Amino acid sequence: MSEADLVLFLEASVRLGVPLALAAMGEAITERSGVINIGLEGSLIAGALGGALAALAFGSAEAGVLGGAAAGVLAALVFAAFAVGLGTDQIITGTAVTLGGLGFTGAVYQARFGATGTALTLPTLAPLPIPGLADIPWLGSALFAQAPTAYLAYLLAPALWYFLFRTEWGLELRAVGENPDAAQAAGVRVRRVRVLATLFGGALAGIAGAHLALAHAGTFAENMSAGRGFIAIAVVALGRWNPPLVLLAALLFGAASALQFLLQAVGVDLPYQLFLAFPYLLTLAALAGWLGRTRAPAALALPWPRRG
Amino acid sequence: MRWPERVMGGPLAVATGAVLLTAMLGAVLLWAGGYDPLAAARAAALGAFGTRDALLSITLVRSVPLILTGLAIAVAFRAGVWNVGAEGQLYAGAVAAVWVGLEGGSLPALLLVPAVLGAAGVAGALWALAPALMKLRLGVGEVITTLLMNFVAIYLAAYMVHGPLQEPRGVFPQTGPIAEGARLPVLVPGTRLHVGVVLALVAAAGLSWLFRRTRIGFQMRAVGASSDAARIAGRIDTRKVVLIAFLGSGALAGLAGGVQVAGVTYALYEGLSPGWGYTAIAVALLAALNPIGVLATAVLFGALEAGAAAMQRDAGVPAVWAVAAQSLVILAVLALDRVRHRAGSEASGV
Amino acid sequence: MTRVLARLSGVVRRFGSVEALAGADLEVLEGEVHAVLGENGAGKTTLLGILGGILRPNEGTVEIDGTPVTLSSPGDAWARGVGLVHQHFMLVPALSVLENLALGRRSTPGRLSRTHAHVRSDASRLMERTGLDVPLDVRVESLSVGQKQRVEILRALLRDPRILVLDEPTAALAPAEVASLFALLRDLAAEGRAVVLVAHKIDEVLAVADRVTVLRRGRTTLTELRASVDATSLVRAIVGGEAADRVSVWSPGQATAPRRARGQEVAALVDARARDASGRVGVDGVSLAVGRGEILGIAGVDGNGQRELALLLAGRLTPDTGSARIPDGVGFIPQDRTLEGLIGEFDLTENVALALHADARFGGRSLLRWRDIRTEADRVRVRFGIVAPGIDTRGGALSGGNQQRLVVGRELLVATDLLVAENPTRGLDVSATAFVHGELRQVTDAVTGPGVVLISSDLDEVLALSDRVLVLSRGRVHEIAEGVRTREGVGALMLGGADAVA
Repeated sequence: MSEADLVLFLEASVRLGVPLALAAMGEAITERSGVINIGLEGSLIAGALGGALAALAFGSAEAGVLGGAAAGVLAALVFAAFAVGLGTDQIITGTAVTLGGLGFTGAVYQARFGATGTALTLPTLAPLPIPGLADIPWLGSALFAQAPTAYLAYLLAPALWYFLFRTEWGLELRAVGENPDAAQAAGVRVRRVRVLATLFGGALAGIAGAHLALAHAGTFAENMSAGRGFIAIAVVALGRWNPPLVLLAALLFGAASALQFLLQAVGVDLPYQLFLAFPYLLTLAALAGWLGRTRAPAALALPWPRRG
Repeated sequence: MRWPERVMGGPLAVATGAVLLTAMLGAVLLWAGGYDPLAAARAAALGAFGTRDALLSITLVRSVPLILTGLAIAVAFRAGVWNVGAEGQLYAGAVAAVWVGLEGGSLPALLLVPAVLGAAGVAGALWALAPALMKLRLGVGEVITTLLMNFVAIYLAAYMVHGPLQEPRGVFPQTGPIAEGARLPVLVPGTRLHVGVVLALVAAAGLSWLFRRTRIGFQMRAVGASSDAARIAGRIDTRKVVLIAFLGSGALAGLAGGVQVAGVTYALYEGLSPGWGYTAIAVALLAALNPIGVLATAVLFGALEAGAAAMQRDAGVPAVWAVAAQSLVILAVLALDRVRHRAGSEASGV
Repeated sequence: MTRVLARLSGVVRRFGSVEALAGADLEVLEGEVHAVLGENGAGKTTLLGILGGILRPNEGTVEIDGTPVTLSSPGDAWARGVGLVHQHFMLVPALSVLENLALGRRSTPGRLSRTHAHVRSDASRLMERTGLDVPLDVRVESLSVGQKQRVEILRALLRDPRILVLDEPTAALAPAEVASLFALLRDLAAEGRAVVLVAHKIDEVLAVADRVTVLRRGRTTLTELRASVDATSLVRAIVGGEAADRVSVWSPGQATAPRRARGQEVAALVDARARDASGRVGVDGVSLAVGRGEILGIAGVDGNGQRELALLLAGRLTPDTGSARIPDGVGFIPQDRTLEGLIGEFDLTENVALALHADARFGGRSLLRWRDIRTEADRVRVRFGIVAPGIDTRGGALSGGNQQRLVVGRELLVATDLLVAENPTRGLDVSATAFVHGELRQVTDAVTGPGVVLISSDLDEVLALSDRVLVLSRGRVHEIAEGVRTREGVGALMLGGADAVA
């Protein structure tokens, strides 16, 4: 395998890892508040369509990113209204939002562009090499010649860590996810925190979806989120609900996907499906505690207030 | 012990209301999208129930995996096990069924069909065993682990159809056809309705009996309603019950994969399931986790899928609307159920 | 000195069709310790919830410093200087003590700033001043019950409340800890704050309060200075004039003598050890025997192994080392009846089935005989006077007292050899308490009846009911000799273990 292959592999790992990282860091914040948003897939696909429509309407990929965030928030709002507002079961609600995201984006897309899906060409989110950094051998172009959304992910990782572990809001968020009754007694507005955390997760998932449409594909296709919302939930667990680790975990998942291209490029016929399964097995191992102590927020997936 | 009545009283009203609500909302949305709701409904109804073939070969055939996965979810959720992994368990069952169906060609059908289905059930149960042990031994919540196992199963199936089990010519990413003797007989000649539907009916009836009459069924309901009370007041070995629920749920989901392979596709390929393991959550929920109710809701969802294709063909409404409708019906159930609960708790002062 | 800090007038609060408060009044003065008394269900906790911003009244007004206010969240109440210390600990176990103290502090520099440093210095100063000492950097989950309570009080005091509201703060404390808590409350009042205290025990109220308010059936029936009330007048106000004569009030130190020699031994522990849920040693080498027809009382402060001892004796837990000989016919009344005693979603029949499903007479290994179980459930309902439309009523729809009747009645069905009761009257009102006490005494009237183990942190209850008394302290039991079977003698043992009386 040549050096060029390896550089391409690293680039692809990051490119494939970035949407996972964005969605997963958002979901990490959501889950820290005690809410598991299985409907993240819905936010992701909504973000892809919202990003595509906004980019088309304003003729700019940056507007598309904002549109994607807005659409992601909209899907998360449905989830939050039910799971937090009404206190419905989070797993079931998330299933509904995922189905709704896939169904309604398909319906809107077909209504707008016809059933055949006329080839939709979008303004693209072009790679933006960072002068100096992008020239570092090997890793430079992989890390620093990416779409601007990648840099957002890099910045968010430490920022969200600081937010979670060093600020009062972060403390309140973690308390809500561990023991919402206690947080409420301390004067924290539990539902508000959970709704905001869910919407934040939806916004980042929406941006991740927009990234798929604008930076990867340059078009929208039905089901183009391809389960990444569910993958992001696995990434969160592997990253131990800690944003910088979540970023690394997402890059690992990206690398597993990129490996199939590398293997094809160098002409090795290995069963790449097994490599694709590897990060999931690794996540299972992490949850089993084989990679150190990991514990989900204590109130994760529990409706609040508790039902009698 | 008026359990069936209690389940059917409120939840039946909720389910009916949810379906009506979804129909109304769907009609409004279709109308807003520039379609003719009445034409769409007519086309969907005809496509799902209009002819003998529509009903037997399409709607009911599509209902079978939904019934079995719906029952899988019902078993798990009733016992408080949040198995989101029916999809993966289904694939595990399908892989095992295909393997036995390919290798066991020399066996007589009388042995081979039970072997295929048995292998599917065992494989599904084994696929659920890992999350079960992680929950019971290590205290890891099953929502994330069962979800993870779905991906592993789907990649395992993909590996199989690209690798060891790929059809002999090695062109298409699928397995060769399973032996004739491994296939489920057709139930109604001239249609595609296979005996798997009988199996699904028997499973539903059996599960209903299990919950109402048997000790283990009672124990599962107790553990699902309150694990602490089941353990302390009921002296129930909750870990054993949880393990049984995991395995039973996995076996039913695995059986769904086996029945699909042995009754419909006769082969394994990527994308065998359009997400039945997830749709099953909606099916079971709409049925209020009642096994007999699952029969009705699974046929409804099967009809929705069958009708969607006809709706697209005859009324120009994209089939993807059926997915949106599934989403709406779940949300409607959730909302109505909360309303009912609030009314109930207001009345009893809790 | 007599400035009114808070006034609740004509407060009505309904939960569905139930009126928890039906026009209650409460006036809180600067510099006083104000005790609120009442039966369970009289509305005490609801009233405090309204003052603490957890609940909103349907009718009536809440005034703070003379101005009507709407407290729509605990945060609102904090902002107006009302600090609530809950009956059940409201701490986040996975966070450190410091983080728990910092939680919800709403510091002025901004919510995104790093603020733990000044919380640490504030907390250290406060600990020094009040003598409430806890390590700041350990996780709350590793603290003892008493330490957790200190954290609760520290957290409330850190926000410098003018009105400190405590809901049954003494329930889990040993007598000496109660004394130092009361001293602290007196100091706080002397600083000009108001302390509002919900208490169950009349002697505690008489010891600490300046004024007393009594609630009965959601209404204020009495507000008086401490000096103008005594135990009798308070009891009369709590239970209503007509009922006062029927209720026996345990007076401090009152204890029964053994009724007779105990019967045949039915259960025994030999040097049993068991760990608690978090892996710490709960029961640390206990040997004891229970005979037929006796009530064996086990006194002690919560958290000294009570939970594990109860589970061991009830056959719900097997000892890590040592041995337990537990009969088949064992009934268990767990402390938390709503979570462990019954299932809210299940009807009466199904709740009774919880105890009968393993019994061969009602089905045995595989099938259940629902008809026989229904018959049994109806007998329990009638025999124990459970107020419910029928046996199809959900357990969750019963009142607390009726839930306990259901649990007691059901467990008596199976307790042919042994009945283990763990704080069986905690949170019950006077008449439900009398019912439980009566049943425990009645079932042990005959020497052939089951043995009863009464594990309770209510010392008076243990002394009044038991034929024999043991004290459980730090996971070990100590027998109480006849001579020291007094409140003071047992109390000393509860705190200090064997050394204290040696």
